[in-house]
Parts: sequence; structure tokens; C-alpha cells
Amino acid sequence: MAGPAVAQTSPRAGARAFAPGAWVLALAVLAVLVAPLVVSPYYLTKMLPFFAYGVVLLGLNLLVGYTGLLSFGHALFLGVGAYTVSVATTRLEIRSFEVILLLAALTAAIVAAPIGALCVRYVKIYFGMLTLAFGMLFYSFLIKFYAVTGGDQGLRVAQHSLLGLFEARSGERVRFLTGQFYYYAAAVLAILALVMWRIVRSPFGLCLRSIRDNPEKAEYLGVSVRRHRWYAFMLSAVYAGIGGALLGPVTGQVDPTLVYWTHSGNLVFMVLLGGFTSFFGPLLGAFVFIFLQDQIMSVVPYWRLVFGAILAAIVIFAPTGLMGLLSQRPTLPRWAVLRQAPGPEHAN
Amino acid sequence: MLTLRDVDVSIQASEILRRVSLEVGEREVVCLVGRNGAGKTTTLRAIMGYLRLRAGTIEFLGRNLAGLPTHQIANLGIGYAPEGSAIFPDLTVGENVEISTWTRPGGRPAPERVDLAYATFPVLRTYARRKGTQMSGGERKMLSIARALALDPRMLLLDEPFEGLSPAIIPAVSRGIATITEAGHAILMAESNIHHVPEIATRLYVIERGEIIFAGRPADVRRDPAVLRIIGG
Repeated sequence: MAGPAVAQTSPRAGARAFAPGAWVLALAVLAVLVAPLVVSPYYLTKMLPFFAYGVVLLGLNLLVGYTGLLSFGHALFLGVGAYTVSVATTRLEIRSFEVILLLAALTAAIVAAPIGALCVRYVKIYFGMLTLAFGMLFYSFLIKFYAVTGGDQGLRVAQHSLLGLFEARSGERVRFLTGQFYYYAAAVLAILALVMWRIVRSPFGLCLRSIRDNPEKAEYLGVSVRRHRWYAFMLSAVYAGIGGALLGPVTGQVDPTLVYWTHSGNLVFMVLLGGFTSFFGPLLGAFVFIFLQDQIMSVVPYWRLVFGAILAAIVIFAPTGLMGLLSQRPTLPRWAVLRQAPGPEHAN
Repeated sequence: MLTLRDVDVSIQASEILRRVSLEVGEREVVCLVGRNGAGKTTTLRAIMGYLRLRAGTIEFLGRNLAGLPTHQIANLGIGYAPEGSAIFPDLTVGENVEISTWTRPGGRPAPERVDLAYATFPVLRTYARRKGTQMSGGERKMLSIARALALDPRMLLLDEPFEGLSPAIIPAVSRGIATITEAGHAILMAESNIHHVPEIATRLYVIERGEIIFAGRPADVRRDPAVLRIIGG
């Protein structure tokens, strides 16, 4: 279930290593499919946030890993998606979860458009700080506008139906979540992963990687750096919105802690933990994060202390994350090494 | 084709270029020669819109480039191969070449442009699947020129194409540059060593401390001892 070890950043160079990676991927998919038959409901409910975070992180990694922009406010868009589910089910009487997902994607895109347009004018730490600021702005909005958002109490997520066929009947919420909703969320993750796989291998993805390598030289080749960064920002926000929408029904309740900056920090942590240089790294990161947190919390309450130590160890000893360790590459991927050299550091 | 008139450029309040005027016509190979720090790269970067002009104008095909963002200038048809290893290390050689067929669609079809780029530097085709980091300095230089060529530009700006190359590889690069002009592209080339100026150069400008101190044919400069002292290599 741990996700596959395809640690390639380039599709062509991947030809050699593809075969084992494909096997791991197939095994992971199989494990996800059969898990409801063998795994206890407790662990199945832990898989649901994994699917949701998986979607969010696929989007976040488009920004972090492929475009080279580190966002510290990405929980904002996750929150937008989650609140969309709540508002749609409780106020707008929308039941169809497909419509809700579309609505969450759309709302996230609308919110991201102006924020992204401003943020992508800055890079590195300034970009990070600006996204952090917007995230906290949205947090304040959720806290203060009690009438709309329910303040710190948040809002509940009401009844919804999947594909117009399945609904949670009263008293059967857990069975619904670990049954139909489990497969539904897994399917959404699979589809969106496929779409993202195509995106990063398209010419658009090529341009993003050229921007990450060297924005100035990308401009010389006719790439509009700002516009491409903006598109990447919007796309990643849409993924975060959809992921957030998947998270809503799991908790049955949305509240402002979803968009608090520590939550954005968790997202970045998951990306680093799994490895941002690999396509599937962030998914592995989400998986390990969720189950490790669960295990540690059952032993000691100080999970942040343990996670802080893990984060430090990763940054120092395994900058390519768990996926980098698993794929047993002797050194950093080449572009990461080059980034540390003084060469391609022209900020746009 | 390309005309610079009285271009002044300052970087952080120090004047780098003073009243630089130069011209590149259709199918010309023009060399901008000067010592390190004379302002060659600054001139090329100013043409690409990466530096703001304090005074003067830059026109390309009758169009004023002032205020245009760099990527639009590239899309007008100026291919720039910067100094140093300007390739994208994480992309393969093939991707490095193909990227410009996508960023500037239109004009000739993409396969034709890629073919022209490879025809100019045939050795690159054999490396198409390698990552940029696995190339030697000379190969990177070729790749950087080939990539600018795949943009299907009307004109190429080459920043010191022979800088730091081993003597063994210089003929391959010069042959490539000759191929480019035969295909009808104009070239503006920066060079620090007068001996590197290729035979096919039609005209030559000498730049020193941000000012053009000589403009004329390559044969004439070799008879000017004052200028030769500066750029004699």
C-alpha cells in the first residue's frame, strides 16, 4: 500500500527503472482494493484521509517539486474545498458528491486566481511568506465571520450521495465510509493521479521543470515564466480543493484548524517525507505521515516532537525523502545538486 | 534587422553601457568583440529585455523592443544561447531541444526545426536520451545553440560560443555556426578573443568599457594597432 518506487523525474530516463516501479504500483493498487476485506474498519478510516491528502499533495508537488515554488499556505485551498462540501450539503441542498467535487474545484480555482496572480510575482522565501499570509488571512476570516462560517465551531457536513446511488443511512456512517466512500475516494485519487501524470509529462510540465531549473533561461526560450507559475498555482489549488472536499465527509465536520498554518506545514512535511523529486513520493509521504502519527499518538502525546526530529533527519540525511532512499540512488538527483551550485540562481 | 541606437544601461547606478549603437542585417554574422567586463553580455541581455534601458532604442524587424518581456522577445524570433552551461540539467538532451518548438509554435513544423537543430550538431542526436548533466562543456554549448535554433529564430545571439572549449571541439562548433548562416539566420556573436572571430564574420564591433570603439570589417580591425592592443587576446 506504500506506493510505488518510481523515482523518476524524467519519463524517458525512466524506461530502465520503470518495470520494478510498475510492479510496486500494481501491488499498491491491489492492496488498496482488497484492504476493505481484510483490514479492520479503524485502519480503513485512516486510509480515507490518505486518499484526500494524496490528491492535495499531487497538486502541491506540481508547485514544489516541478515548479520549484514552496507554498506554506496550501491548507487554504484544502479548507476552501472542505467548506464547500459543508456549505453545499447544509445550505445549498446539493446532494450529488460529483457536483460537490466540481464545485470545490471551481471555488478553489476562483479563490486561487487572484492570490496566485499576486504570489507568483515573488519567488523563494517571499513566495512562501505570502502564501502563509493568505492562509492566515483565510483562517481569520473563518474565525471571525461566525454567521457564514460557524466561527471556531465550524460547520457540519450533511448527507450526500455518491454517483446518485449510495448514501449513508443513519447509524451506518462507518460502514458507508469504509465501504462505498472508501472506493469512491480511492477512484478519485487514481483518476487525478493519472491526470497529473499526464500533466507533468506534457510540454506544459516540461516548461515548469525548465522554470524550476532556471527561470531566466526559460524566458530566453519564450516561456512566460509568470504565466506558467500562475497556471501551476491554480492547478495545485484545484487539486487541494478536491482533496479538501474528500476530507469533509470523513470528519463530518469542518473547522478553521483545517487552514491553520500548522496544517499547511503538515502538507509540506508530507511532501518532504515522501520526496518531492519523485512523482509518487508525496503519496508515500502522506501514507507514512498518517499511520506514523496514529501509532505515535497511541504511545505518547508528543507526536510533534517526534515528527520534528524526523523532519530534521530527512532534511539532513535524505533530502530526496523516503522515495529517494527506497529507489537506492547513491546521490542526490543531479538537478538538486546543481541547484546548490551558484549557477542557476537568478530570481525572476 | 536588429538595430541598437544610443543604448545606455545602468546596473545599480553604475553605467555599464554608454551610447551603444550597432546593427545586424539579414544573413549577416556580426561579432561583438571585447574583453571580459567590457559589456558584451550586458548588450545581449539588454536586447533580450532582461535589463532596462536608461536611454536609446532597440528595434527588431522594425519593432521597438522596449518594455517587452523577455519571453515575447524570444517569440518574435530571437534565439539566445547564453554563456556557460545554459542547459536545463534535469531535462534530457532531446527535451532541451524540443522545449522551444513548444514555447514558440507556428512557423516551420516542429520536427523540421528539431531536425535542423540536430543537423547543425549531429553529435547531439546520439545523446538525445541523456540528461543534460552528462554532457561535456563543448556538448553543452552545442546543445545551448541547438536549443536556440529549434526556436526557429530569424536571428541568433551567441554569447562566447568558443569560450572554454577544447581545441578539438572548436571546429565542430564553427561548422555548426556556418550551417546556421547557410540556413538563412542572422547571427550576433559576442567574443572576447579576436582570434576566435570566424572567417564568415561580415562585420565586427569592438566594445571597451561599455562603449563601441570600432565598427567595421574584420580585415580593417587587424590593421588598427590601438584596437588590437585591447582585444589582441
